[in-house]
Amino acid sequence: MGVTKEQVESSLTSKLNPAHLEVIDTSGGCGASFTIEVVSEKFEGKRLLERHRVVNAALEEEMKQIHALSIKKALTPEQWKQQQESEKPEPAA
Amino acid sequence: MWSVGAFNSITITPPSASFVVNKVPINTPTSLRLHYFCRPLRPLRSFSLSNHSSFGPQLSYKRTFSFRCSAALTPELKNTLDKVVTSHKVVLFMKGTRDFPQCGFSNTVVQILKSLNVPFETINILENELLRQGLKEYSSWPTFPQLYVEGEFFGGCDITVEAYKTGELQELLEKAMCS
Repeated sequence: MGVTKEQVESSLTSKLNPAHLEVIDTSGGCGASFTIEVVSEKFEGKRLLERHRVVNAALEEEMKQIHALSIKKALTPEQWKQQQESEKPEPAA
Repeated sequence: MWSVGAFNSITITPPSASFVVNKVPINTPTSLRLHYFCRPLRPLRSFSLSNHSSFGPQLSYKRTFSFRCSAALTPELKNTLDKVVTSHKVVLFMKGTRDFPQCGFSNTVVQILKSLNVPFETINILENELLRQGLKEYSSWPTFPQLYVEGEFFGGCDITVEAYKTGELQELLEKAMCS
């Protein structure tokens, strides 16, 4: 039982068309626990709770077997760009 | 043939429940898992069953049944939950109790709430399977913990952590305590 990282990725990719997606299987093999980071235009204008609901809905089938889904990042492409820029060291003048 | 449970008396007969090898009848070691999402004396609403044996390719048998219909949330349960989430300003549905959380995510939220010094009520969803399933529908949220503030679903662990980091949670709880 359980689902694979690939299944989670493919569902999220087809439903959210993400600009960035990272899925980490944290279950230690049983496929019931994942950590994800996802960047999608579908999050535009949505609060964090609503964004998580979007992800949960996209994974509705998988959630029947997943016990722990940790959504570390659910950002819009704009926020993602900003975050990446702020993490980059300032280029020397 | 397996008969499971004193209630509802479900009988499952896998095609190869028993068979003969070298004229010796062998009972298939059948692993049987039944998950009841409802309590005894209620109509069976959802269960999954996996059943397999490993006696070589032609005898190997694996089948998974899964029936699911969204009916764990009865009108009575919905009514009860409406009352529960509004009976206290902060209600946390969690795995385990505040002093003995049985899940890392639940524990995280308990620690956050404790650190913020707000009174909160916890409900252990591991004690009641019907409640557990019903709440998933009630909140439209598939996992636990689930945090309610002033009768409104606030979020799960990730959202609570995020809101705690940004200060949004403190703000919301302060408002809730003053209201």
